[in-house]
Amino acid sequence: MAHSIRISYSACHGCVNCIKSCPTEAIRVIAGSITIIRDLCVDCGECLRACDRKALGLDDDDWDLIRAHGEVDAITDPTFFAQFSSYWHPERAREALLGNGINMLFDDVEDAFDLSAYATARMIEGMSKDQLPLISIYCPAVVRLIQLEFPELLSRLILIENPLEIAAEMWRKRTKSFAPLTLISPCPAKITMVRDPVGNQPSSIQHVVSMKKVVHTLMASGVKVSSDSPGLDLEGRRFAEWARRGGESKHILKFSKRDLRIIAVSGLRNTMDLLEQLELGRLRGVDFVECRTCDIGCFGGIAVAESRFLSHMKHRNIETDWALMPERAEQLDAMLANEKLWKMNEPIPSKQRLPLSSDLSEAMSRLKQMKAVFAELPHIDCGACGRPSCKAMAEDVAREQGEITDCIFKLREDISSLASQIISLADLQPNALKRIQPGKNIKVNAQRG
Amino acid sequence: MADPIHLEYEVAADDYQTAGTASNSVKETLKMLGIPTAISRRAAIITYEAEMNLVIHGGGGKIVANIDEKQVELMTIDEGPGIPNVDKAVQEGFTTAGDRAREMGFGAGMGLPNIKRNADIFEIFTEVGKGTTLRTVINLQ
Repeated sequence: MAHSIRISYSACHGCVNCIKSCPTEAIRVIAGSITIIRDLCVDCGECLRACDRKALGLDDDDWDLIRAHGEVDAITDPTFFAQFSSYWHPERAREALLGNGINMLFDDVEDAFDLSAYATARMIEGMSKDQLPLISIYCPAVVRLIQLEFPELLSRLILIENPLEIAAEMWRKRTKSFAPLTLISPCPAKITMVRDPVGNQPSSIQHVVSMKKVVHTLMASGVKVSSDSPGLDLEGRRFAEWARRGGESKHILKFSKRDLRIIAVSGLRNTMDLLEQLELGRLRGVDFVECRTCDIGCFGGIAVAESRFLSHMKHRNIETDWALMPERAEQLDAMLANEKLWKMNEPIPSKQRLPLSSDLSEAMSRLKQMKAVFAELPHIDCGACGRPSCKAMAEDVAREQGEITDCIFKLREDISSLASQIISLADLQPNALKRIQPGKNIKVNAQRG
Repeated sequence: MADPIHLEYEVAADDYQTAGTASNSVKETLKMLGIPTAISRRAAIITYEAEMNLVIHGGGGKIVANIDEKQVELMTIDEGPGIPNVDKAVQEGFTTAGDRAREMGFGAGMGLPNIKRNADIFEIFTEVGKGTTLRTVINLQ
């Protein structure tokens, strides 16, 4: 499984700050340095936020190298337009970016996001109550989290390709271009989306770079985009709304023939809570669920350049036209009929962690061992063993990936019992010396006296 | 055959917030044992509904899980008011839940029917005024 978190071993001091930030408990600090259990990582980027020493970074492609080959065909997550000192209206940004050697995809992106919302609205309408709610697939970290931790919710994920992928595919079909396409990503999850797509289809995108890097290069080159807005295409703005929590939901709602009951949450904790409640069947009567693991939505991604609060504020002031004109609906119906363009062919597979053993009775005895080890541990989740919790520690021991003495408290107990053993051993004397006991004799004499 | 895995959970009356703890733990345990998702889902649903029953009706109680190589046995034991008419209680839509439970979206009369639907063996031992023990079994083979 490809990932996009890079570890700098020279920068890591083994401080264990990152291990508790991970929602899937994928990080260990072994021999003083970070290890990520790759099968468990969902690329949410939370560990990057927790690291003060920049020992964790993004493993993206080299933007300078990509640009060195001349004009770059690029596609961006909509968070991009709010990264500069004033909001870059997509229509205004087009020219400025071309002047900087970037041919940014706009029309196909507009179509793909409209199509995605339109297709979702039609799917919801065609479903019975017990098949709902459907869950958004836009955040790739959420998709992976469900594959790993909530496999029962897999059937709820909308079987639509990510609109960024749809747009790339549309562009390729339209231009017949074989040139590499670069995604400007606000997060590690979307980097991984390109490198290791969930379905079997290879991605239509070749390179991924962090948004931070692109924005900084553009700022350094002094590119200016006029911030006045009259006469702009407000319909073409709808995709930009997906940058914040609830944007996708609004898009779907506006394209729906009936009123929808929607829940949209952002942030890792909210996402986990919501998925848990959903799995327990507690959210009856909900039609659609939108989760973003980053706060405020993609504006809160770890690879953006601007403060999420500022970008959200700038974004709030832009106008959008949500009305779906009849001729646009006709266009979308035509695109919808071409299922190859947008539909994910097969259901998304489960990626649960392996059981303690593939043999049930062996797994049962390991589980008992795990419970026994856990009972011995101090249950304060201090992290000194390099694991996020005493429970994870017990599990690692049962999986033969650790020793109980990795626990500093257990080690101290062992040292203390060893020490008392040494003291009692020191009291023993060889047979030949046992006869002469001056200390005792004096004591005895003193008593007698 | 190895001794079964034994799990026990205390569930407090009216504690709507922590209901789900036992269910999560049972599911987690079955996952680690490599029990197929279809079965662990059924066990999770039974446990969750049983927890809710203890919270809403049973005045709190205990959930016990015994897992061996053949089956998952889930038992709910309470010393609550008992069930006067078991046949009625397992009908969909029948409920004696109070307003508070219904305000929170529970008490739709789906609890016991849901448990019954997901269990291979379903037994209720109840005595009015003394309490209720519910025993369910899911076969692994």
